[in-house]
Amino acid sequence: MSRTFLNNNRGVTPVLSSLLLTVVAVAAMSIATTATYVITNNLRDTMSERVIIEDVWFNNQTRTIDVYIRNIGKTAIQVKAVYVNYTSQVFTKPFNLEIGQHKWLIIEEDWTPGSLYHVNMVTTRGTHVEEYSTAP
Amino acid sequence: MLKNIARRLKRNKRGVSNVMVVMLSLVLVVIVVDNIVLWDYQMNQLDWERMQEKIEITAVSVDTGSRFTIQNTGSQTAHLVSLWILDNSLKNHQRYDLNIFINAGDTFQLARSDIILPETPYIVKIVTEKGNAAVYTGPKPVISSLAFSP
Repeated sequence: MSRTFLNNNRGVTPVLSSLLLTVVAVAAMSIATTATYVITNNLRDTMSERVIIEDVWFNNQTRTIDVYIRNIGKTAIQVKAVYVNYTSQVFTKPFNLEIGQHKWLIIEEDWTPGSLYHVNMVTTRGTHVEEYSTAP
Repeated sequence: MLKNIARRLKRNKRGVSNVMVVMLSLVLVVIVVDNIVLWDYQMNQLDWERMQEKIEITAVSVDTGSRFTIQNTGSQTAHLVSLWILDNSLKNHQRYDLNIFINAGDTFQLARSDIILPETPYIVKIVTEKGNAAVYTGPKPVISSLAFSP
């Protein structure tokens, strides 16, 4: 009985093909699901970024522009670039803020009293935080 | 009759792949909806709440320390997280941590013995957790007749 069953190869191909198809389908679905999750996760993080400038201080002692930043969003942020009057500036790097965290960002830019300054900060995900401030 | 139909359906595999593709696509759609649409809704809710929040500094007085009267004129409970004293001569920008909740419509008296207001004109700024701020530009502080209790 068992010998007959073992010697009979009929129907093996359909079983193998079905098995193979299942494996391919599961793999494709896993890749698609992971890709969708990764892409949407990035979008979600970008949507969750909220950053505010609490204070801009034209520091007379250090001759720097000190900006106090607070992360009020739902994701951690990293400030990638700082522009003062549309010119890229040197600042303390890396500047990371966890959810709810807040601290000073020091911009190494000598300022002139009475001048208007446009401070623009850009995060790694492309969120802009801007503020106009006149130096005292 | 019913047996015949059932037998015919069992043998007929046409359209099964279409059904499977639709089912798998639905799974992907659910993931997208969960991650994007619902999250966007949450963030919109956060922004809406932020717009509804409004606080005002109605008075600043001096005793042994400083006393700030803060009124929540918005429709949301405000969580105050920062107090700034900006010396208008800009020699100093001092920040103090706060952790105060004010219900909608309530007024809160914040008394701080560690805050000494400058002699020169100053600005008091209070920032909420949602990112709103109230600003008080200081004329000469009025000496308070109220007893100070830290």
